[in-house]
Amino acid sequence: MRKRSFGLGFILAFILASTVFSQVKRPEELTFPPLKFEPPEPRSFRHNLAQGMRAYIQEDRTLPLVNLQAIIHFGDIYVSKDKAGLGNLMAQTLIKGGTKTREGSQIEDRLDFLGASLNFSVAERTATLSLSILSKDLEEGLDLFFDVLMNPEFREDSLKIAKGRMIEQLKTANDAPSAVLSREYERLLYGEHPLTYQPTKASIEGISREDLKAYHRKYFFPRNIILAAAGDFNKKTLIARINQYVSKWRNQTASFPAIPKNFPEVEPGVYFIQKKINQGYVSIGHLGLEDTNPDYFAVQVMNFILGGGSFTSRITSKVRSDEGLAYNTGSRFTYRWGFPGTFSGYVQTKSSTVGYAISLILKEFERIRQELVTDEELETAINYYLESFSEFFSSPITTMRNFALLELQGKPLDYYKTYRDNIRRVTKEKVLEVAKKYIRPDKMVIMIVGDWEPCNQGDPKFPGPLSKLGKVNQLTLRDPLTGEPLK
Amino acid sequence: MRKGFLVGLLVFNFLIWPLFASDLKLEVIEHKLPNGLKILMLPRSGVPRVVCHIYYRVGSINERPGITGLAHVLEHMMFKGTKVMGITDFEADHALNRKIDELMEKIYREKYWKKDGDKAKVAEWEKEVERLIKEEKKYIIKDHLWETYMKHGGTGLNASTSDEVTGYYVTLPANKIELQMFLEADRMVNAYFREFYSEKDVVMEERRLSENSPGYLFNEQVRATFFVGSPYHWNVIGWMEDLKRMTKQDLIEFYNKYYVPNNAVAVYVGDFDPKRVIELAEKYFGPIPRGQDIEPIRTPVPSQDCEKRIYGEGLAPSQIAIWFHIPPDGHPDTYPLTVLASILTGDTGRLYKSLIKEKDIASMVSAFCRPQWYVGSFVVNARPKTEKGIKPDDLEKDLWAELEKVKKEGVTPEELQKAKNRYEASFIMSLQSPTALASRLGRAELNRGWRSLQTDLEAIKKVSNDDIKAVASKYFVRLNSLTAIYRRSFGR
Repeated sequence: MRKRSFGLGFILAFILASTVFSQVKRPEELTFPPLKFEPPEPRSFRHNLAQGMRAYIQEDRTLPLVNLQAIIHFGDIYVSKDKAGLGNLMAQTLIKGGTKTREGSQIEDRLDFLGASLNFSVAERTATLSLSILSKDLEEGLDLFFDVLMNPEFREDSLKIAKGRMIEQLKTANDAPSAVLSREYERLLYGEHPLTYQPTKASIEGISREDLKAYHRKYFFPRNIILAAAGDFNKKTLIARINQYVSKWRNQTASFPAIPKNFPEVEPGVYFIQKKINQGYVSIGHLGLEDTNPDYFAVQVMNFILGGGSFTSRITSKVRSDEGLAYNTGSRFTYRWGFPGTFSGYVQTKSSTVGYAISLILKEFERIRQELVTDEELETAINYYLESFSEFFSSPITTMRNFALLELQGKPLDYYKTYRDNIRRVTKEKVLEVAKKYIRPDKMVIMIVGDWEPCNQGDPKFPGPLSKLGKVNQLTLRDPLTGEPLK
Repeated sequence: MRKGFLVGLLVFNFLIWPLFASDLKLEVIEHKLPNGLKILMLPRSGVPRVVCHIYYRVGSINERPGITGLAHVLEHMMFKGTKVMGITDFEADHALNRKIDELMEKIYREKYWKKDGDKAKVAEWEKEVERLIKEEKKYIIKDHLWETYMKHGGTGLNASTSDEVTGYYVTLPANKIELQMFLEADRMVNAYFREFYSEKDVVMEERRLSENSPGYLFNEQVRATFFVGSPYHWNVIGWMEDLKRMTKQDLIEFYNKYYVPNNAVAVYVGDFDPKRVIELAEKYFGPIPRGQDIEPIRTPVPSQDCEKRIYGEGLAPSQIAIWFHIPPDGHPDTYPLTVLASILTGDTGRLYKSLIKEKDIASMVSAFCRPQWYVGSFVVNARPKTEKGIKPDDLEKDLWAELEKVKKEGVTPEELQKAKNRYEASFIMSLQSPTALASRLGRAELNRGWRSLQTDLEAIKKVSNDDIKAVASKYFVRLNSLTAIYRRSFGR
């Protein structure tokens, strides 16, 4: 019965298929009209404001809204180790802590009343204050935006609440396996370094209002900030208004601490972190490269084919699609401003198939280092980057922010103009060359967060022990509150 | 561009409905194919790209015990090819699949129907299945649909399943809408479920990922307890045992019933000519026959009329949540409840001011109002400040005190206005993202029509303090509540 009805359904559908696609039978037969797209030119949006502040500004009258961002060259890596957590604390109190003339709650209440949003975040080397507001309220929004940016007071009550929250969060820092893996993987690869400092209860409690003010004084000044703005305003009027605030703001001499760029030689092998869960969370790799490296574009294309192009990539296709071993798997290069990022193959799979999944990923690493990729693979990867290129400019504020970041990080302003040519230039031979250069099995660490017994036991396709993959090091997590190893 | 619309209007007889938010006018163009497929179009200038989404009125609420998780598994399987895509020799592949399915049915019967199935036989059949799967690989073009979208510059490529809706997403260069039409029409009618058994394994891994997220299993039980009786009581991912036992025949029946043009809406937002989109839709989706009418689900949540309490412990932060049943989406009471949630939640909201700022007993608070298609929930929750030795149970009376205050005194005119302003502004802000906009239009369309986005905004503007007091008194009562208390512990 089941078979029959299935067969019938099949015949009907097949007749249908031929009706539906009487002209086009396969997607390969489709032809598309040409589409020309030239990226916007950064220089036509760039403005020098008062006191040496720079800005990228675009009028866009589509909606009655304005987006404004101040991107500050300041971030976690400029904070000394004993004050670890200061970036996060500043993020939580720059607005809530109020200004010289306004209570934090007054600012928040007012913005909320206007339906606006004002957020501040601190990342590794950049901090961003961003405002989104209806254009009818822009005047008031600018007042609050520049008051918060220039005159924060970090009042004690806001500090107390934020510190309380951060300490509550610290307590759970070892709970989510994915968070543990990404933190410990970086700690292993970068060693003890400003890129990997973690806050403790003592470091958080030791941050004073004066510390926050001192860091603010040191890094928040016009020449150290680039604005990005887009929306429903008159550009000239906006610039004049911004200059009114900024012209009163004194510059400082930029002084950034020297941060070492040498990282430890890590012993290759398996690094295991015990956690009683039903899967192993795995990262395999080593340090990567900087995105200013001339090989960057070839590495992007290579990684797309290896494990970055989701289902189109080899690792996803093998580990997920063929074998059904994982929901999440692939490979990635991360990038950070001024430092090499990381390279990792990753997978989360049930404990018994951890070893097998790792062996499959390692095989793909080897394969892309040994053989030229196929013409089809290269074509798909290159076409993806070319055809999705305009996505960089998906909204005016995204475009302005992208331009501001180019300038802040000292990248060439014609980065986007030359982007597609740089991608087009990548050849199969170049892919092979960068695979050999940036994927180094001899330097590889395999980090696993999972339950040791079943992971080590493996399954028939890859019976344990995990030491077959390299010397096993059992890592002890640290107590997030103290930073001391857990007993 | 706008003029073009008016000409188009006369020629094609499609409808332009203005959507007002304050003085904001947004033009959605609507077109319905004779087979029932609805097309919503919102042309916009900007980069030459188009967000192309298609939504089906099907989700986990259309499942039943035994096949929980099926809507989501089907969403995965929709990427596994069709009779056209993903295969070099369909006939040969079909023959192999029939053999695989027959064997798998025998294996399932042995494993799941019998108490003591024949393990030796199962092992033998499994070996044969493995051989056939290997043989099948020579015909399969791996992830053909995905790769086709990618090499044409598809971004935002994904799909998702919710309680009520399943959506398929891609954003393409403006000259390639036809590709989406071809591929989506093809899988609406021609889906062929290859690699089903390994994909079930993928979904089980996806469930394990959730299980390893601290607090997940507790929250799953809270949901099951709160929505008991209705198909909202299981999560979209489904129960593990159902995932194991689910068959390909389950999948085919579900697909045939729900993946029909009269149960779907296609949404386009971006830089395109609506006339052309309609032509293409008629060419590709037009010939697909209309499916049978689909009955709404039968069982919303039965009246509770008792107080529920549920306790748990584990690795997640300690917390307390109080849940209340409210009416479904579109009911007049949902508007004052939505406004009230906005007044209670957030860093300028009442709960923050009371439990965090004044009393200093919580580290996190929130409130939300979630009317769904057939059920609704209003939830307040808080995490205690454990540094001060506060336990989650201690916060229960403080949360209730805030709710009681609303019943008696309502809210201030300033709070009311603020909530309305926020609703309106966030509506306008959500229009910035073409993807979010497509999603809101598509999902709204499948329930009460996309125009409900506009009428809801008008209804929110009319909410009064008396309305808020009335709904608070009506719904915030113990016999309509579930209190979930979770304590952090390392014991398990």
